Amino acid sequence: MKSDTKQPNSLWGNIFRGRHKEENIRTILARLPLFEGLSKRELTQIERILHLREFRAGETVFLQGDPGLGMYIVERGVVRIVQEPGKNMLAELTEGDFFGELALLEEWPRSATAVTETPCRLFCLFQPDLLDLIDRAPQLGVKILLRLVRTIGERLNTTNELLQRLQKNGHPDGTGNGR
Amino acid sequence: MDIRTGPAMEDSTGRAFRFVVGLIVLAALAVFLSSIRELVRLVVIAILLSYIIDPIAVMLESRGLSRTKATVIIFSSIMLAVILIILLVLPAVVRELSSIQEAVRSGQVNALLARLELLIGEKTAFLGASNLQLAGRLNDALMIMKNWMIEHALDMVTLITGLIIMPVFIFFFLKDGREIIKQIVGYIPNRYFEFSLSLIHKMDMQLGNYLRGQFLDALIFGVLSIVALWVLGVRFFLLIGIIAGMANLIPFLGPVAGATIAVLISVLDTGTFASTGSIIMAFALIKLLDDAVIQPVVVARSVAMHPLAVLLAIIIGGHFFGVLGMILSVPVAGFMKVVFRESLLNYRRFRLSAF
Repeated sequence: MKSDTKQPNSLWGNIFRGRHKEENIRTILARLPLFEGLSKRELTQIERILHLREFRAGETVFLQGDPGLGMYIVERGVVRIVQEPGKNMLAELTEGDFFGELALLEEWPRSATAVTETPCRLFCLFQPDLLDLIDRAPQLGVKILLRLVRTIGERLNTTNELLQRLQKNGHPDGTGNGR
Repeated sequence: MDIRTGPAMEDSTGRAFRFVVGLIVLAALAVFLSSIRELVRLVVIAILLSYIIDPIAVMLESRGLSRTKATVIIFSSIMLAVILIILLVLPAVVRELSSIQEAVRSGQVNALLARLELLIGEKTAFLGASNLQLAGRLNDALMIMKNWMIEHALDMVTLITGLIIMPVFIFFFLKDGREIIKQIVGYIPNRYFEFSLSLIHKMDMQLGNYLRGQFLDALIFGVLSIVALWVLGVRFFLLIGIIAGMANLIPFLGPVAGATIAVLISVLDTGTFASTGSIIMAFALIKLLDDAVIQPVVVARSVAMHPLAVLLAIIIGGHFFGVLGMILSVPVAGFMKVVFRESLLNYRRFRLSAF
């Protein structure tokens, strides 16, 4: 981020904003563990199946218990993940964070509710689109699936450690983010 | 109108107002669409066809081709096939048609009909039918057909523009279909977004299987009919087979139409009922094969419709869009069934009201 895009309404600002946005999308994608190390061409292919959605502050992205269809990537803004009875907060996600990725594997019910805290721009990657991509570009599909499995494996490891600690001490002595 | 009667009242009048406006917009849309009927028909056919072809494009893409290249390859091979069919099959069909005309003109048919009348009179004397006047009736029917053709000669203009515009539509639907859907999805409010995506996906799966199945089934049925009629030595076997295959989109109509026309032609042709039994047997066998082997493998059961619903759809389709409408009405009705059912199911699964 070398230049700030705070040139108000200038002609040049408008011309370059488009390109800047594109770069921004790709840098955000490249930073995600799911798309780590993919080529520019592959990232463009992924970008093509992403849906970009704008949310107002306080809008529900999805409800706990709804069938999950895919994952969301925060491009801008803050999203809160809350557990439904009692609305206690599990996590607060900002730019570059992602959530709901388990739904890429199977249409499991959402384990928590996601609500926007501020106005947000979210990228959505949906299972049907991912399956379609796997059909059309199997090599790229395998790469994404491998990274997805790795991400989930890491989380399973963390959960296992937490569980072991819990079994030994009677309480988890760390602060996992609970998801 | 007094709006300041409280927020709840305001909300409900607002909702009713929006509902009425929505209805008016829908009605206007329906009127508009029915006034550009021809175009709607073209677009619907183009969408259905590009839908049927899509898996081939996906297969080519998975071999590393870009979508555009895949589309171009498929498109040029289809064009080539169409040209080949026009060059090879069309002359045969035209020859068959003109030899029917010839037979009618030369009085051969009248002689045959007289013989047939005698034959029927003899065989079914117990029914008491003496003067059938088959020749007169056939001539009447032919006159009506001829008049109809003259009346609809103007349709040729739309047919030709269709033949030019249609490939363009199919090309772009095939190439950019996903992009178009994504653009449309972009306009859906966040609240209905996941619901709609899930709906589109479910419809896509079921409808794709259904349409491809129907298409394949009609194709196989047609080919089998052509082969059977050719073996039995029925004249115009190509034409009858094509009609039977297309009619088979409508349950039961394929074999019935095929057998009826084939029997008529063979009786007129030979003047005897010699091959009637074998023609009926052949179509019964093909129908059996279709029901027992082809349909279960090829056609998705999930969209299977009750014959009565199919019949209704065909009548409605024929009323609004003519013969082509009758053929298209079956897949379109299947589409509507899937849309309706999946909307309901999905509405229950997503607790939209809880937002």
